[in-house]
Amino acid sequence: MGINNPVPLAEVDDILRPSADANPLMDRGFVVTSVDALLNWARSGSMWPMTFGLACCAVEMMQAGAARYDLDRFGVIFRPSPRQSDVMIVAGTLTNKMAPAFRKVYDQMSNPKWVISMGSCANGGGYYHYAYSVTRGCDRVVPVDVYVPGCPPTAEALIYGILQLQAKIRRESTIAR
Amino acid sequence: MSETAKAISDLFTQRFGDQVTVGNTHSGITTLEVEIEAWQEVCRALRDEDDFSYEQLTDLCGVDYLSYGLSEWDTEDASQEGFGRGVEALGPGRFDWANRPEAGEMKQRFGVVVHLLSFKHNRRLRIRCFAPDEGMPIVPTLVDIWSAANWYEREAFDLYGIVFEGHPDLRRILTDYGFTGHPFRKDFPLIGNVAVRYDEQKGRIVYEPVEIDPRVTVPRVLRDDSRYKTDELDQAADAKAEEVAAAQGEDNDG
Repeated sequence: MGINNPVPLAEVDDILRPSADANPLMDRGFVVTSVDALLNWARSGSMWPMTFGLACCAVEMMQAGAARYDLDRFGVIFRPSPRQSDVMIVAGTLTNKMAPAFRKVYDQMSNPKWVISMGSCANGGGYYHYAYSVTRGCDRVVPVDVYVPGCPPTAEALIYGILQLQAKIRRESTIAR
Repeated sequence: MSETAKAISDLFTQRFGDQVTVGNTHSGITTLEVEIEAWQEVCRALRDEDDFSYEQLTDLCGVDYLSYGLSEWDTEDASQEGFGRGVEALGPGRFDWANRPEAGEMKQRFGVVVHLLSFKHNRRLRIRCFAPDEGMPIVPTLVDIWSAANWYEREAFDLYGIVFEGHPDLRRILTDYGFTGHPFRKDFPLIGNVAVRYDEQKGRIVYEPVEIDPRVTVPRVLRDDSRYKTDELDQAADAKAEEVAAAQGEDNDG
């Protein structure tokens, strides 16, 4: 799945958004677009994350999912099973003991899949970088798409990271090479 | 020592005699130093006898006194700007395997500390015993007396390598599967032995020798705001005052 020059974001977005000005769907009842744009719209609009809270970052993740910030608005609905998930949010300290289980969960997710590394510990070991039991970054175990810095990152920071991942997904092309 | 604490400590000395030494009463909890030979006997009496009735074991932990009293932060001489945040020396754990300190001969290196609670008397007690052999610290188990001790003793075994004689299931509880060493020992390098990563070819997590050097991360303290510039501000104010005085002097002369 390569990355090509993106269609301007607003265009991709607005084709399928009924409220946009001069919306072809509202005017004529049909819309012409590329399959990639449609796929990306569908994927970025329903990123279901695997609930993978490991430490205190998980509390901020819950905060982002709760009533005030309400990740449901972005189509982000936490799933308890990797089989139903598109995104894994690694929220917290990944220990050596957890690493095999973590990789297994990642492998069980169906393609396409993305990973958001949340917080200093998941990004590079953070506070526990020089410790005997902590993996120095979850990118040693899985490929990471978005790193959210902070210790822990605020709920807003996580949402910003999710929006960044949405933008990244919209640049992907599945059909056109 | 308050009067009640005195009465309680007298109770212990009368009942147990030479088997125990009454220590300090930190945080209002009496400390008993128990001889290792009498560890189980004393504990059983503490649970069963009406004077004590410590029905619950609330905590059990190991202690390594190897670097007791040493600190990597020098906080004794505070200047006006606060503590020097620089680390003076490599503190406990900040060394690699080649340079780990020799434990050497050390009496009473490993201790076991237990916290007890009596509902009947609404009273707490801290008891401690030392393992006789620091090379292979062995302490009798308390699982038969308080079953709550089971996982605590596994934890102390895992982190300090204290062997609890008579424990029904003395396995590691916290550290990684196949972990070697006891990480809370003060001669265990903080960086440990292994690091993990995912190997694409093998398709699994692999363990490799740790590749980083031990280091103390020192927080960077920025002291640029006005609170830390008092001397400069004072000097500026003095210079200003002198200028004003000189100007006034000139005026008076003229």
